[in-house]
Amino acid sequence: MTEMLILVLVIGTALAFDFTNGFHDTGNAMATSIATGALKPKVAVTISAVANLIGAFLSIEVAKTVSKVVKIQTASGAPVSGLTGHRLMMIVFAGLVGGILWNLVTWLLGLPSSSSHALFGGLIGAAIASLGWSQGVDWRLVISSIVVPAVLSPIVAGIIAAVGTYLIYRITNKVSEERKEKGFRWGQIGSASLVSLAHGTGDAQKTMGVIFLALVAHGTVNSDSAIPFWVKLLCALAIALGTYIGGWRIIRTLGKGLVEISSPQGMAAEAASAAVILSSSHLGMALSTTHVATGSILGTGVGKKGARVRWHVAGRLAAGWLITLPVAAVVGGICWWIANILRAPADGLLGILVVFSILVAAASYIYARSRKNPVHAGNVNDEWDQSRTPEAATTDTQVRQEA
Amino acid sequence: MDFFTVIEPIWKVLAVGLLLGAGLPALFALGVRFLDIGRVPATVDGHTRVGTTSVAKIAAGSCFLVVALVIALGLAVLIDSKAVLPAIGLG
Repeated sequence: MTEMLILVLVIGTALAFDFTNGFHDTGNAMATSIATGALKPKVAVTISAVANLIGAFLSIEVAKTVSKVVKIQTASGAPVSGLTGHRLMMIVFAGLVGGILWNLVTWLLGLPSSSSHALFGGLIGAAIASLGWSQGVDWRLVISSIVVPAVLSPIVAGIIAAVGTYLIYRITNKVSEERKEKGFRWGQIGSASLVSLAHGTGDAQKTMGVIFLALVAHGTVNSDSAIPFWVKLLCALAIALGTYIGGWRIIRTLGKGLVEISSPQGMAAEAASAAVILSSSHLGMALSTTHVATGSILGTGVGKKGARVRWHVAGRLAAGWLITLPVAAVVGGICWWIANILRAPADGLLGILVVFSILVAAASYIYARSRKNPVHAGNVNDEWDQSRTPEAATTDTQVRQEA
Repeated sequence: MDFFTVIEPIWKVLAVGLLLGAGLPALFALGVRFLDIGRVPATVDGHTRVGTTSVAKIAAGSCFLVVALVIALGLAVLIDSKAVLPAIGLG
């Protein structure tokens, strides 16, 4: 009974992560279409949600290995020997909580950061706390499969988007601005849908793998068996629902904050993102959708003559990316530590419940904070000006309330 | 760990990305351009309107069609490369 309760809590937390993954990344695909007015905000998130849903089912082969950087599974997906039942469950659970909390904080700040890095960070932290620095984590793989791609992917995406933007403006030099804006909307909508599709295939898979691992730890399924259909269905629905909710704060930063974007630029950005994400996942390299999309949007600013790129906003994002993995790791480690202290009472249920309560309390607090300065479909496209950044606007509201 | 082994797939991504991610939008732009070139004033029932010549429509349509076909083919390759690539003679 206790074990079943823990399993349900862990699966619920995994789906919650999947949900945050959805709304955190809506902007990667749709921010440019919303900013240029190619799509009404609500229509954009609906299209993106449907494309994510389809994408989640398109997944060619769901990887059973959640992440090779944490040494908790063998190549076949089975837990490493000695790591069974509750010990494995605690790592997975603490890692998920670390990922969710970082996703929520960055959402509050309107910071597009990588959900995959948040999840890997959380798992790495929990694995270090549980198994030790070198026993728990393959650091060489952290460098080659996470750090290097994170540095290179925005640059590659940026170059492609810049070249695309340059070519588009070269070719349509003589076409009037108005007709250009109109003509490229269709291309923009199509390419943005492709990015959503790619996101669904890539990101929903990660949660499927996590839930599968929890089921294996519980003993419900064997690591050799296929991933149950209900797992795929729930993950697809969670990410689609998250996408539909729309992370408006992040959409605003991507669509209005980095570059004042026009339709041709929007199409160039999304086409570059789609090409990079789909081709890299075909080559077995998992890039972060967020890093690619941000690089593409910056690239279109560089590729268009006279476009204004807000490099200080880009710098803020880069700083956020740098600390994503370490911070999520610290949170994941602390959560594991709390769950571990309380692992004796009620067969470990108490520890899991305490961490779960912390997650719920922190999430509620962050949500309450966000209400002070809400960003929604109605104001997502307002003029970008520094006084409206989350921190500044909060003080502004406080001043008004006090007055 | 050899640094170049790590970044090797990135070059492929850059190459494919430039071809499809920048090439297809350029082709789309060409279509938009054709539609613009083909704009001519047409007189219908004494009113002057702006129409598009059929040559321009065909030229632009072909551009858009090629873009759509390449995307469809690309997705097909991603979903099932083992079945699709030999079928188009690239196996």
